[in-house]
Amino acid sequence: MNFLFTISLRNLLRQRRRSVLLGSAIAFGTAILVIANAFAHGISEVLFNDVVAYVAGHVSLSFTKGANLNNQVFPDGDRMIKIIRDQLGSGPRINEAIGVFARAIGNGKSDNVIMVGMDPNGDASEKEKKQYQKNFRVLEGSFDALTDSTIENPVGLAEDKAKSLNVKLNDIIRVRFSDIHGQTQAARLTVSVIFKPSNAFMSAPIFLHTKALKKLLGYGPHDIAQLYLRIDNPKKNAIAFANKLHAALTPPLAVIDGNLTCKGTSFTTTLLALRTDSASLALLRSNTSIVKRCGDDTALFNRKSVIISRAFSEKNGIGCGDTCRVTFDGKFDSLKGSIKFIINTVIENGAGIDGNTVLVDEKEFYNAYYDVLPISVVTDKGAFRPDTTIAIYPSLGGEWLLLKRSKTTKEVMKTYRDVAHKGWKAIVVDVGSMYETASMVLNLEIALNMITFICVMLLFFIILIGVINTLRMTIRERTREIGTVRAIGMQRGDVRNSFLIETGLLALISACIGTIAAFLAMFGISRITINLEDNPLSMLLVDKHLFFAPTPSATVAFILLIVFIALITAFFPARRAAKLSAAEALRHFE
Amino acid sequence: MLILFTVTTLAAGAPAVDSLLQHLDEQYKQTTDVRANVTLTQEKPQQGAKKTDMLYYRRDSDKSFLIVMTGPESEKGNGYLRVGDNFWMYRKNTRTFQHINRDESIGGSDAHGDDFEDRQLSDMYQAVKDSAGNDIITEEMLGKVPVWRFDVVAKVNDVDYPKKTYWVQVRKDQNSKEETIMLKEASYSKSGTLMQTTYYLAFTRLLGKIVPVKQLYIDNFEVGNKTIVEISGISTDKLDDNIFTKAYLENLSK
Repeated sequence: MNFLFTISLRNLLRQRRRSVLLGSAIAFGTAILVIANAFAHGISEVLFNDVVAYVAGHVSLSFTKGANLNNQVFPDGDRMIKIIRDQLGSGPRINEAIGVFARAIGNGKSDNVIMVGMDPNGDASEKEKKQYQKNFRVLEGSFDALTDSTIENPVGLAEDKAKSLNVKLNDIIRVRFSDIHGQTQAARLTVSVIFKPSNAFMSAPIFLHTKALKKLLGYGPHDIAQLYLRIDNPKKNAIAFANKLHAALTPPLAVIDGNLTCKGTSFTTTLLALRTDSASLALLRSNTSIVKRCGDDTALFNRKSVIISRAFSEKNGIGCGDTCRVTFDGKFDSLKGSIKFIINTVIENGAGIDGNTVLVDEKEFYNAYYDVLPISVVTDKGAFRPDTTIAIYPSLGGEWLLLKRSKTTKEVMKTYRDVAHKGWKAIVVDVGSMYETASMVLNLEIALNMITFICVMLLFFIILIGVINTLRMTIRERTREIGTVRAIGMQRGDVRNSFLIETGLLALISACIGTIAAFLAMFGISRITINLEDNPLSMLLVDKHLFFAPTPSATVAFILLIVFIALITAFFPARRAAKLSAAEALRHFE
Repeated sequence: MLILFTVTTLAAGAPAVDSLLQHLDEQYKQTTDVRANVTLTQEKPQQGAKKTDMLYYRRDSDKSFLIVMTGPESEKGNGYLRVGDNFWMYRKNTRTFQHINRDESIGGSDAHGDDFEDRQLSDMYQAVKDSAGNDIITEEMLGKVPVWRFDVVAKVNDVDYPKKTYWVQVRKDQNSKEETIMLKEASYSKSGTLMQTTYYLAFTRLLGKIVPVKQLYIDNFEVGNKTIVEISGISTDKLDDNIFTKAYLENLSK
């Protein structure tokens, strides 16, 4: 084998000009491939690390109320955070994500803005804090001012946004927005920090301290908005962590234990939520029978059903048409909640809810439930929990509704459309990893890679036509030489292999040179400052520079691919050369 | 047909705010189907006026309404359909229906879905009372028209404006029947900032009830913005049930 290698190398060096020209073409194609791939990967790195991680988190927990994606609230934040910590430990950094669209009026100019909550001193690793400082380079003021209670609603905004609103440090911006209840709210914000963002995405939002923004939006002291978790090794751990969290978030049954007052009497009662989508009502219909029903429709359950069993009705002397009120203790701050309803359905015993239990349609139930979150207690004084095996159990509402894990952004949106369509009233909880919430970013990277790969392969195709042509010429020129070496004993396989090794060596050396040239070019190009203000393409820049992110695995793979393609290309002419008979080859004249 | 204000007598003594709200609800309640042409003219400083024409169908008995844009060209064919608790937006370009919220903007204007609903004021708002528990209501002149002015606060969470001030005229019609008409409305944010002032400029009589046919919405937050809503071609003939369906909206959009 050594002698073949020596012969091939000698042949390469013998025809220097041809080898250099062909090698340059291969090196050029390799360089383009490496640069293009590094650029595509760089874009997705920027989007993932600088945008998705902040915009969507590596793992996210969203709480949608009333099927309104703009209404993100869960009434017991500590409980959710405890579940996260129990499942994932103290590693993940948890941040509350709040953003709301607003109309802002500055000094004679107005603009649409997104008010985003941030906590400069919150949960972040050292690396993330450095990333923060890089992403939000302070020009005037300080992010510490966001926590200054002596300033009226301190806000930070990007230099460009400050220009569009014609404001400077300490100026007032008036904003109009809708709070979590959908009510119009107005506020005055004081410009406390002006920064230069590292990419265009960060120019649009204006930043308030999370606590301040929550107060403006009408969040209660125990409410939380969406949660974003940032984790170590997100590409490796995000999906696994999301799955683990999802498994731990199966909701318990929603119950209100309280005191029912009806027709002058009072006794402890348990209220359960009746899900009123068509499947749940059908389940109820097929597993119970109506003894008495008030109202227009005496045959069917509907979305306004308030149901008790015959046993409950007879025991307590209440029934169809009676107006009752339940008062109950709240979980927080010694609040008291209440719910008023009119009983309109009595069902036969045996459905599994024969105790002092009232099934209230989910709309009325959850209005009261989320208004004052009840203490969940199990006592022996009439509080009742249905057996999970009863037939109608699936039609009873949980404390929240947990969506199935989705695989892509498209699936997530479809799920939310279904939620809106079905009109579920419980808070909808969704656990997502960055792969689902930002699957479009992943798809963008895949699409960019495919496009660059196809374009470069086309380029290579053209180059390889040159390779084939050159090889044919070489074989033709060396026909007598082939005849000579065959005559002195070289086997056909060795003739073929010598050409293959020659082409392979050329491709390998050229690809390596091309790769080195690519790295040098990327180094140089990334040093160029590009001013693309007000241009959407500026989102692709990091601090006004192009960003390349080559990966060792991709670089090595490209080199191997190029060598492989060159070998395949050379195989057939080399085999043809090997098949030449020695006598015929010796007789050949150019 | 426009009705000129011919005040005969005002109610003696200040009326209860809750009863005024109920009377207003009675005025606005439509027991029949309604069809009308609606024109929204939005004016913004430095942007000029943008006019949107639409067809409006309404049936309060089953909480349905249908809006389809007939102009400008960029909006033509788009529409909104509400049936019961479901509210959809239809986009002609993509021929798709999207389930949306009631506070979604209509045609990019300041009108929202809930502006076209038939929600009762008395269900949403209650009087602001003084320390003695009495309604705070005063008699004022709005131009040359005597009105009752009172403040209300929201009873429920899902309203646009949690605080409002109303200027309401109570008068007797030609048959000496008492009528309650809203002439002006001021809407405040939760923090008490005046956000919008609405003037009801012209009315018509429809099946014995007063219906406003020209309204001016002035944006007090972003000064200079205003929207004029004009209603014409009102008909109370019974509407085909097919009208409040997605298929009809899609066909109409073609």
